[in-house]
Amino acid sequence: MRHHAIDVFLRFSAEVTGFKIVELRGTGESGEYLGTLDRIVGPDVVDELLSAYAELQPREEAEREQLLRRQIFGNEKLGPIARNIIKLWYVGIWYQLPRNWRERWGVREADVTFTVSPNAYTEGLLWPAIGANPAGARAPGYGSWALPPEIPQV
Amino acid sequence: MAATDIQTIDCLKDYLYRAMQLEHATIPAYLSAMYSIHPQTNSDAYHILRVVVVEEMLHLTIAANLMNAVGGKPDLTRADFVPEFPTYLPDGEKDFQVSLQCFSPSALDTFLKIERPGLAPDANTRRIPRRSRGTAKLAACPEDEELEFYSIGDFYQEIERGFEHLYRVHGAALFSGDPKRQITSEYYYSGGGELRPVVCMESARAAIGLITGQGEGDGGGIYDAERELAHFYRFEQLKLGKYYEPGDVPHDPKGPPCQVDWTAVYPTYTNPRLEKFDASSELYEYARDFNRDYAEFLALVTEAFNGKPQLLLDAVPKMFRLRNGAMQLMRNPLPASKASADSAAAGQPDGPANAAPTFEVAEFAR
Repeated sequence: MRHHAIDVFLRFSAEVTGFKIVELRGTGESGEYLGTLDRIVGPDVVDELLSAYAELQPREEAEREQLLRRQIFGNEKLGPIARNIIKLWYVGIWYQLPRNWRERWGVREADVTFTVSPNAYTEGLLWPAIGANPAGARAPGYGSWALPPEIPQV
Repeated sequence: MAATDIQTIDCLKDYLYRAMQLEHATIPAYLSAMYSIHPQTNSDAYHILRVVVVEEMLHLTIAANLMNAVGGKPDLTRADFVPEFPTYLPDGEKDFQVSLQCFSPSALDTFLKIERPGLAPDANTRRIPRRSRGTAKLAACPEDEELEFYSIGDFYQEIERGFEHLYRVHGAALFSGDPKRQITSEYYYSGGGELRPVVCMESARAAIGLITGQGEGDGGGIYDAERELAHFYRFEQLKLGKYYEPGDVPHDPKGPPCQVDWTAVYPTYTNPRLEKFDASSELYEYARDFNRDYAEFLALVTEAFNGKPQLLLDAVPKMFRLRNGAMQLMRNPLPASKASADSAAAGQPDGPANAAPTFEVAEFAR
């Protein structure tokens, strides 16, 4: 386990998903997702992304957000990976990187679209975000569908 | 008929409050083990724990029905209702304590003790010989007496004797409670057995028989009256690594293997307390929120048990949210600075420990 990397990965993930680190760890998937990134794009590229994020840390929120957009999401190499991290957390699926990324930075053998694990599906942030449970999992209790969804504050 | 200590209806109500405390005290312990199991692993253990804990919830509800039947008021919000863990069981089993801990061999050993079959074929041996002790403990009844039963079954036998005795004295007047306060199956579904109203001696006997049968088996066998394996023997399968089959005798299961992976478990901090959390952390807030939700849940169940049984239906989604909250905590590491002083203490997992719900509800008392 890459302890320092996972801390930065969680801070980055919390900022870009709008969920708290406790909630991200609470999915039980943080190690799995960082491992997925390492396996598909390689630890070097992951560290490049995390370092770029760590450099934004001391700034004010508004400024940081602007830099986040420009230097990470707007970066040809790091942007698609950052977007993939958001999707990983929300739906538990790794989406194959865009064609132009693969042409520019090289095709990774493991880079295919797949659900990371059965647990990744049930723990997707999409479900708490809409106040629902994943179909077929995390049963909310008989009759709970008659109650309004509880949407967490993000 | 053997003599009973339960000579008054008030004394019976004290015993029934103890029974509710007792049934409830097992639930945080079983949930702490069950939710610590990694998803998609240990399905044998997970399912055994789930059956047992759901039946404990049924037993708690049956105890409330017995209380209501004799005109008592079930109260899950009393200051002493939720124990501080580790705790002795409220029926006075003094040779072990129950901890909140992750699924582990030591947790399983405790569960086997909780569910152990009764010692006592007759009234003279149902109590453990009285010892002198320095520690004070709340007495049930009469005021200065401490309960000391060997098993939950022995404790319920005493309650049944009390019912029989008071029924002889008072007749049907013993069952003075409003039948509308009884929780029946329309409010309580797929909860480990059928819930029947307690309105007479016969239904009281059946209710007590269901509780003891599900816990430790009927008449020394491994099954209860519904031909379901009793809790003790369900847990013993995990200990012995084999399932029981029909025809098996106690302690010698001959069925297929029952597998346990002790490593596929979140290593949660044993008997966690909020004080072990960094009070300025997000994690602390979540742990405290769980306790608040749990306190509110117990208050809602209390209302349901006091004439509003339909509220139990509202309690169901709250239970599932408690589950989600507990699992979330257990996947978060407890920062070392607060926990490390105890990491070498007995009963803690090796290495860094994770958080877990603390079930401390006192600050949210109503």
